Amino acid sequence: MRKKWLAVPGFFALAALATIVSAYSAASSSQGNSPVQPIKFPHPIHVQTLKMNCVYCHFAANKSPDPGMPAMSTCMGCHTVAGAQKPEIQKLAAYWNKKEPVPWVRIHKVPEYVHFPHMRHVNAGVSCQTCHGQVQNMAQVQQQESLNMGWCVNCHIGRSNPPLKARYDCATCHY
Amino acid sequence: MSTETPGVKRRDFLKVIGAGTATATAIGCSSEKVEKLIPYLVSPDETVPGVSTYYATTCRECSAGCGLIAETRDGRTIKLEGNPAHPVNRGALCARGQAALQGLYNPDRFRGPMVRNGSSFKQVTWDEALNIFSQKLGSSRGGAVFINQHESGSFPAFLDGWLASNGMAPHISYDGESDSAAIAANRQSFGVAWPRLDFSSARLIVSFGADFLDSWGAAVPQQLDFADARAKLQGAPRMIYIGPRRSLTGLNADVWIPCNPGSEIAIARLLAGTATVAQAASASGAEPAALTALVKEYQAAKPGMVLAGGSGSRGQELALAVNALNQTAGNVGVTIRPAEALLGFERQASTAEIAALVSRMNSGSVSMLMVRGANPANALPQSAGFAAAMAKVPFKVSFSSVPDETTAVADLILPDHHFLEQWGDAEPVRGTLSLQQPTMDPVFDTRATSDVLIAAANKVRAGSYPADYRTWLTSRFPGGAAGHSSALGKGIAAGSATALAGTARAVPQIAAAPAIAQTRGDFYLMVYPHPVLGSRGANKPWLQELPDPVTKTCWQTVAEMHPKTAAQLGVENGDLVKVETDAGSITVPALLYIGVMPGTIAVAAGRGRRNSGRYASAGANAYDILPAAFDASGGLALVSTRARVSKAGGHAQIVTTEGSSRQHGRGIGKAIYAADLGRSADAHAPAGAQADAGGHAKSNAPPGEENSPGHHTFVGDASHEFLPGLRSPVANDAQGDFGDPKSKEKGMYDPKHWSGMANRRWAMTVDLARCTGCSACVTACYSENNIPTVGADWQGAKVFPDRTGFGANILRSREMAWLRIERYFEGGEDGGADFDTRFVPMLCQHCGNAPCEPVCPVYATYHAPDGLNVQVYNRCVGTRYCSNNCPYKVRYFNWFGYGEPNRPQYAFPEPLNWQLNPDVTVRGKGVMEKCSFCVQRIREAENRAKGEGRDLIPNEFSTACAEACPSRAITFGDAADDRWTVAQLAKDKRAYHVFEELNTFTAVVYLKKVLHNEPASSVTAPVAAPAVGGAH
Repeated sequence: MRKKWLAVPGFFALAALATIVSAYSAASSSQGNSPVQPIKFPHPIHVQTLKMNCVYCHFAANKSPDPGMPAMSTCMGCHTVAGAQKPEIQKLAAYWNKKEPVPWVRIHKVPEYVHFPHMRHVNAGVSCQTCHGQVQNMAQVQQQESLNMGWCVNCHIGRSNPPLKARYDCATCHY
Repeated sequence: MSTETPGVKRRDFLKVIGAGTATATAIGCSSEKVEKLIPYLVSPDETVPGVSTYYATTCRECSAGCGLIAETRDGRTIKLEGNPAHPVNRGALCARGQAALQGLYNPDRFRGPMVRNGSSFKQVTWDEALNIFSQKLGSSRGGAVFINQHESGSFPAFLDGWLASNGMAPHISYDGESDSAAIAANRQSFGVAWPRLDFSSARLIVSFGADFLDSWGAAVPQQLDFADARAKLQGAPRMIYIGPRRSLTGLNADVWIPCNPGSEIAIARLLAGTATVAQAASASGAEPAALTALVKEYQAAKPGMVLAGGSGSRGQELALAVNALNQTAGNVGVTIRPAEALLGFERQASTAEIAALVSRMNSGSVSMLMVRGANPANALPQSAGFAAAMAKVPFKVSFSSVPDETTAVADLILPDHHFLEQWGDAEPVRGTLSLQQPTMDPVFDTRATSDVLIAAANKVRAGSYPADYRTWLTSRFPGGAAGHSSALGKGIAAGSATALAGTARAVPQIAAAPAIAQTRGDFYLMVYPHPVLGSRGANKPWLQELPDPVTKTCWQTVAEMHPKTAAQLGVENGDLVKVETDAGSITVPALLYIGVMPGTIAVAAGRGRRNSGRYASAGANAYDILPAAFDASGGLALVSTRARVSKAGGHAQIVTTEGSSRQHGRGIGKAIYAADLGRSADAHAPAGAQADAGGHAKSNAPPGEENSPGHHTFVGDASHEFLPGLRSPVANDAQGDFGDPKSKEKGMYDPKHWSGMANRRWAMTVDLARCTGCSACVTACYSENNIPTVGADWQGAKVFPDRTGFGANILRSREMAWLRIERYFEGGEDGGADFDTRFVPMLCQHCGNAPCEPVCPVYATYHAPDGLNVQVYNRCVGTRYCSNNCPYKVRYFNWFGYGEPNRPQYAFPEPLNWQLNPDVTVRGKGVMEKCSFCVQRIREAENRAKGEGRDLIPNEFSTACAEACPSRAITFGDAADDRWTVAQLAKDKRAYHVFEELNTFTAVVYLKKVLHNEPASSVTAPVAAPAVGGAH
């Protein structure tokens, strides 16, 4: 008879455990993640001080699903001369001289089963900051937004400010 | 109008459950592993990350020289398509061409040069390897032999020039797959090796074992032309196939006249009028009545086309007799067109030359053997002893980039680039050069053989050659390097390749093969080349897993025999039989097939390879039992002996994807008699299958449906309002913009919604009058959609002792083919030859009222407003209810996580995973998957159109299967917009839906096969014969 009273909470405990495990394996968020990069790349200096446009380096953001990471040659285009004596630039030059790419740590990532076409968002007038936060102020880039599905859908159904709207059918992103 | 009935909807139920678990979910925290973003050092010009670049190049998988468009993303080639501008394949591509990618990324490819070290090989650097090579070159002039894969273009002449400068004899250009007998006869009769076959001009096609849809000659252009001819419907040529086994080509024929192997010549003589029906019947074992009808029809139907293949020991004699028939009947220049010849088959060496080499090697007169792209040790039957003779050659160099029987006995391996990594050209038709260019950087530390030869020559005499082959090639190109560069975009250019010196090759003296009737054995043995594996497909899992178009078996070698033969032997399907000839024996399971002449055993060659990689050893090697006999042209006679066949004891499961070879009256593959095509739809129309000739979309409705609008509705039932396009109800999950189930709004399912999604209805038509069952679409789908192969022996569970080894997962129906070709026989239940075959490409039907959707408890499958039945992998929890409820059985469950690298069942061992399409999710374990109508291509096209500020252009893009299809049977597009071809075709009077009676409102529309049951002479004037249930 005692077994019956164990079974019910036991079942709920199992259900809760299963939920935690499933939540752990997927649909979680790395919001707030701010890893240390191999080279301290200061976005504020490039964007605010030097007034560089985002797409100068992330050159494919308006024409490809993939925003593009600047090639090492883009960096060295300026830094062969500019700031060549600074320790972080010397790190960069060391990579360049060894013909090795800088192993940047990825921060913003949606799972493999999500297809996020950057160009559709950029060309629709969604600013980079809407998803990536105020990168121009971040000495070390941090994931500002959750990038969870609910956060995406919020804009897609027109609840953003200013209101934008886009398809919210599952197969718009999931395929 | 619909009235929503109150009740708990599926989603509400889930919301309640969800609220209870929301708190628990919040506890979950991130466990993402650290991923790197690796930039380029220097960004390559004109490429955008995430956007494909397309390179035109030339396929080298067979001698035809088809044009390719290679889609390359971020430096990796991910998909091959046919080049629409190419004169040979006109945009289509066969399964073997598709699978070239698995040659490029083959996990067993050599990583770099290697030199023999005792019984194994050791890796060396290119410098060391080149030193060894040039040393040996210097010391072995005279007796050196170079065997190259047969190819057209400039390389053969370059190679001969290089050999001559080293004092060596011209190379042997070897292609073990093409029909030497037909080529030699064509050269003798028409002066060209392979005339163009214009099926459209013919009224009657008679094929003596010429499998022009399998691998006989240039499969893709022949199939394009044949399908175009058959698409003429009433005016289409009729086809009669004569041979011991109904191959894929035979199954596409209207009449099959079975005869004993090697006896076709008797029937050819009958047609020529030099033999009587009685003589031909007694010599060939064919039915006299069938032969009488054949003669009558042959004489009446003009123009005709007679073809001969079959590779018997009297193959050349047969081919010459058939050419004479064509000449007498005036078919040459009309249906057989030597003026538009395919040049890919000119100047090739025969297998007899390779056999002659065996005795030269045995006598010690060969000092050095070089082999590139050919595999002579498996081109000849094992009984010819090539590998053993090779051991007597002091130094053997292989330029092969993959392991095979020949490289296993080589001394030095200088791995060549894959053809997708190197420069070259081909001359597929006169006056047109098909250019070959690298589509990506080399995968491994390989080097193009042409560059290796140049480097070796320049080591001896510096400056004797330009720096590399590309420079050599472009300097000869009309317009030079600049002209070459500008021609590369299109992939073809006017011009001719550097010609070879000398005349056509002489055939070495060969002893005549003994007549087949004189050989020992109770049964005729017919070895035939596997239609998709060819000689180099065995280590490509796509091709191993692609079911044979005829037998529907994969990963396995079987002995095909007629049920009568099986009864005589006392064996049933799957019982092991020992097939023994004077050359050797193999033990394989028996497969009962009504398309084999009783008394004949048919075995496909291409499997059971040795030392050829991890996938290649599946099955048995038919060459083990084949004696080395040749026809007069020097071609290997695949039909030359009888065999002793005995029950071996034991049983093996047949590895097949087929459920049943019969339709059981289900009307899956329907057909209509050609004579009925002109009639009005209501006469003789099989139930519920035909739309009226006016072709209103409404007429696709099943009978009775129109009478019940707004009838009883119940929870879960789709609204009976209909969406534009093919008739399909509004999805039962249609809800307002904010997902309010009580809302009367239909949200995006409303055609007036701002997104306009519901104005489209993605749909597909499959024309069964065109489809030949070749299965190129299946491989295209594997390639486009990252479909894992599951049949390798390490991928199966080890629980069932009789279900292990290659194909174990297939035995448990775990294949993942989103698109399969179902093959059904109609008639022939009595074992007779009079049966008809229906090939039905079966894929997700994207039902408007899908049975899979309402049973999904987690809303992982649902109906999108644009007509797609969507499978959301990340929602799927793997209950498999949907698969259980699917009447078409087109949903596939990922049992083992074939896409997860750390599992033993991983289907893409490095670097096969380089091929994966980045636009398609690689599915994980426990997820249901199925055809998505290439939704990634739809989205890509929509993105492109949006970027250019326009609407989609009709027929702007298509699915992977439709792009590849060499018979142009598949058409994809928006059925709601009449400007798309598919919208027109869906209204064709041959259109029907499979299982229409289930009210699934499918988006895949089939067009009935057309049966040409009446003799060809009378087809032009349809007679009023009663139509007898062609569909059932």
